[in-house]
Amino acid sequence: MRTDRSKDLGPCLPMEGDDRIVCRCEEVTQGEIRQAVHDGMFTMTEIRRYLRCGMGLCQGQTCSRLVSGIVARELGIRPGELRPASSRAPMRPLEMSIWANECQAPDGAAETKKGGAGDEKC
Amino acid sequence: MRSADVVICGAGVIGCAAAYYLAKKGKSVIVIDADEAIGNGGSSRNGGGVRQSGRDVRELPLAMYGIRSLWPTLSEELGTDVEYVQKGNLRLGKTEKHRQILQGLTDRSTACGLDVKMIDKDQVRQINPYLSDEVICASWCPTDGHANPLKTTLGYFRAARKLGAVFLTGEKVLRLRKEKGALRYVETDADTYLCETAIVACGYESRQILDSVGIDVPLTKDLIEALVTEMEPEMFPQMLGTADADFYGHQTRHGSFVFGGSAGYDRENRDFGHLAVYGNTAPAICRATLRWIPRLKDAKIVRTWAGYEDICADGVPVISKIDEVPGLIAACGFTGHGFGISPAVGTCLAELACGEKTSVDLSALRYDRFRSCV
Amino acid sequence: MKRVDLIVIGAGPSGLSAAIEAAKTGMSVLVFDENARPGGQLFKQIHKFFGSKEHKAKIRGFVIGQQLLKEAEDAGVQVSLESTVIGIYPEREVVVRKYVETPAADGTDPQEPSSRHEAVFHYKADAILVATGASENMVMFDGWTLPGVMGAGAAQTLMNLHGVRPGKRVLMLGSGNVGLVVSFQLLQAGCQVAALVDAAPKIGGYGVHAAKVARCGVPFYLSHTIKKVEGTNHVTGVTIAEVDSHFQFIPGTEKHFDVDTVCVAVGLSPMSQLLKMAGCEMDNSGKGGGQIPVVDAAGQTSVPGIFAAGDVAGIEEASSAMIEGRMAGIRIAEYLGYETKEAGEAEFSKEEASLEGLRQGMFAPQNRGMKIEKTEEGIPISTNLLKHGFVADDEIGRFPGVTHKAGIHPVMECTQNIPCNPCQDACAKHCIHIGLNITALPAVEEGSTCIGCGMCVASCSGQAIFLVNEHTKEGCAEVTLPYEFLPLPKAGDEGFGMSRSGKPVCRAKVVKVRTSKAFDHTALLTIEVPEDMAMKARFYRSRLECTGGDSVIAQSRIKGAEVSQNGATGDRPCESKAAAESEKREEGAAI
Repeated sequence: MRTDRSKDLGPCLPMEGDDRIVCRCEEVTQGEIRQAVHDGMFTMTEIRRYLRCGMGLCQGQTCSRLVSGIVARELGIRPGELRPASSRAPMRPLEMSIWANECQAPDGAAETKKGGAGDEKC
Repeated sequence: MRSADVVICGAGVIGCAAAYYLAKKGKSVIVIDADEAIGNGGSSRNGGGVRQSGRDVRELPLAMYGIRSLWPTLSEELGTDVEYVQKGNLRLGKTEKHRQILQGLTDRSTACGLDVKMIDKDQVRQINPYLSDEVICASWCPTDGHANPLKTTLGYFRAARKLGAVFLTGEKVLRLRKEKGALRYVETDADTYLCETAIVACGYESRQILDSVGIDVPLTKDLIEALVTEMEPEMFPQMLGTADADFYGHQTRHGSFVFGGSAGYDRENRDFGHLAVYGNTAPAICRATLRWIPRLKDAKIVRTWAGYEDICADGVPVISKIDEVPGLIAACGFTGHGFGISPAVGTCLAELACGEKTSVDLSALRYDRFRSCV
Repeated sequence: MKRVDLIVIGAGPSGLSAAIEAAKTGMSVLVFDENARPGGQLFKQIHKFFGSKEHKAKIRGFVIGQQLLKEAEDAGVQVSLESTVIGIYPEREVVVRKYVETPAADGTDPQEPSSRHEAVFHYKADAILVATGASENMVMFDGWTLPGVMGAGAAQTLMNLHGVRPGKRVLMLGSGNVGLVVSFQLLQAGCQVAALVDAAPKIGGYGVHAAKVARCGVPFYLSHTIKKVEGTNHVTGVTIAEVDSHFQFIPGTEKHFDVDTVCVAVGLSPMSQLLKMAGCEMDNSGKGGGQIPVVDAAGQTSVPGIFAAGDVAGIEEASSAMIEGRMAGIRIAEYLGYETKEAGEAEFSKEEASLEGLRQGMFAPQNRGMKIEKTEEGIPISTNLLKHGFVADDEIGRFPGVTHKAGIHPVMECTQNIPCNPCQDACAKHCIHIGLNITALPAVEEGSTCIGCGMCVASCSGQAIFLVNEHTKEGCAEVTLPYEFLPLPKAGDEGFGMSRSGKPVCRAKVVKVRTSKAFDHTALLTIEVPEDMAMKARFYRSRLECTGGDSVIAQSRIKGAEVSQNGATGDRPCESKAAAESEKREEGAAI
């Protein structure tokens, strides 16, 4: 969507709840998010990169909906008009030593019930 | 029709920096980017290195100028903390072959006046006690460092916007148009803009835009991948690299580590149109990282990403006025190391656009330097 | 790299259902789930499901989960647990983090047990079904990050999977089905529910779910929301306040509750990140509860071979997720040539019709946000039910399930059109009529004779059916009600008959307590009450529960928390109520 970043949002007046934490992983507040919008960050991608909200352990699982609500309100648009930030692996935080450890699953061998690795070789 | 003194194609860190320095000089600027987000190309998808060591001598002066004159005060200048840390760069080696590679890089850099030297195992250990015991040597450049590319790009954007630069995102530049032999119009999928000067800084996409006025720059693109860990306790402030360039990265101010690397097939990986990462790359980066910093084995990766590098045929960018098209300036082909020099490039682009003498001699980075090799 | 026909991500209702359908056609199917137990949310669902027989109605969620697992095993589906999918990569590559078991050296030495470590595995499949479900939404208020504020689903996990009570005294925000069902389960687990609060002006979930909670004495605060949660290291209290039609707080309407837990049930968001990562075209318009993949009826996304089913493709419920899963499974079998087009088509249409059957009635997706004032039968909806959680005494008589008759007869307090009909099948004597339209309100069949077997009472997932004998002996009536609390009262126990609003209205004596395998853990309590209470007493509480310092009733009298729970009843003081009150006073004096 074509957007002119000079769009006048008016002054960023203090609001109730500005000191409330929105992104719990990275401890970003509502006030910081609102100010960032007024500084020109009109997309979820920019808000993330500028403030780190949604960049922590949960990768925005909890806060992205809340953040997009705040951003949309400042911009005077519907939250649905904001494109969510991109999704990337890993879907859950993953230790480097585990990701470094690639295993081959045996062809056609049955998975064991729990843990499911059978006689796979590492 | 909207008009501006300068229209910049591309709102990456180069375009944003140029816009900032131009606006500061009082020029009217319009920045246009096809992406919905500012800086969504390589500007936000790099390792954040602000280094001089290991650079090609043709672009080294830009790196040295930026680190001397621009980076130390950039946070104050922009009003955004760009998290610049100047605590040196270690380029690591484990083998004799590595030592030779590092020695060659060091010799070429010192010849240009850069403070970089070879150090031995114990000296490396003193600087960074967390590295693998297998490290036998390194090149050490104490004036190198790193910064946050996301905040630098958006910081330039924010400051330029504040000075009145107009940013249009989600609008694709289709072509440039001349009038009476000089560049005059920038045409997009939505509008046409009138300008005195146009700067093309669109990464790989620059090639197609320049083509509309009959200019070609030999660019290709590579998809590279990087990953970031959760916040970790502070370990070391240096930027790290290796002789084989199999891994690079640093710990950010925030505490997370950012590492880049490769499984060796990046150039051949397919383009799926949505910056797909490959399943074998992240494990390769993890293995490479742990070979150099075994202590990070329990650090959790929270995210991986991919981004395109615009690769120039001879490995250094084109930052140049186009003689045949007065009013046109190209700034592209940064080949994966544009971030560290972006403040200097932005400064020089503003100077070029204003017809001033540039702070750094750019003659080695001209657009017409590509000659047949036979 | 190991390659299978189908990889299913998520062993919940839709994932398992798809896996079963696909495996039945001979496909090799591998299901990954990050949890230690399969079944997704089903294993937390201890309540009976709605729908008809084909939707597994009146079966408890966790039992459906067990059935699905058994079916999956029989069909040859391989389920790999504690297996976290890291990402979907190009060419339908799935990377999974899971455990590797290293057996003990010779396998015999008990001193040297097998060890486990984790690794990543690469798999490829010709088709991938993403059935990763949803996660809970949050709302922000002061104190929302304090320990003790949690999603209602999280509270449910604590209780029903881990046997841990989330807190002692809970305030629930959100009156959708999740908020209502979890409130009831909190009561079952022995927690007190201080209040059920919703910013909306009317209850969002099924009226029958609300009614079960209301008759336990939980007050409902509609058009109210949380102003702040108090506490320094954990929740110690909460203040709610009324909101106007623009959801702005009305000054002076604050009400405070001492609670240690605040549960938030304000909807779910699809966990669709894997699909987005895989490059599927996404829809962020808000329908479906969040970012969902663009899919066809079978769940095929814009990327060939990648499918989505269940909540990840749009928030609904477990029953529809199972059908969507089967539809995807059938279509995938067809897609990979394991099923002929004709056979697949036939099965597919059958499932489609079944899904259509579920998406009927007042709560159907197409009716979301609509103001419904009358039932399909043209009966005005109970406004008291939507506001306070129970049907008022002067409203209940207008519904077709509520009739008067000599002798024992069923009273069905089912007042909203929802797709559900087990009661009709439960009655061997055909006393209950719903008909072919599954959303019709149950009506008493004229001329039928109730034998008091109680099958209908136990079959009703909404616990809305009672057996009433309005006159047993002089001045007395008997009410048989569904009871799912422990310990069970015993015949001869004396306590109080509770109104639909959860107020003690009369003395009650337990005449009979029936349990049976056919009732599936719903006990049938028959209480004797004064004759004039036959159509009013709908729950039973022991004396202790009613008079103990911690009791729900005592709590409902907490500062500011008093509300007109009798709604539009006229609140006529009756002898029996006065008796109950005087008895309470006596007890109090005795202490």
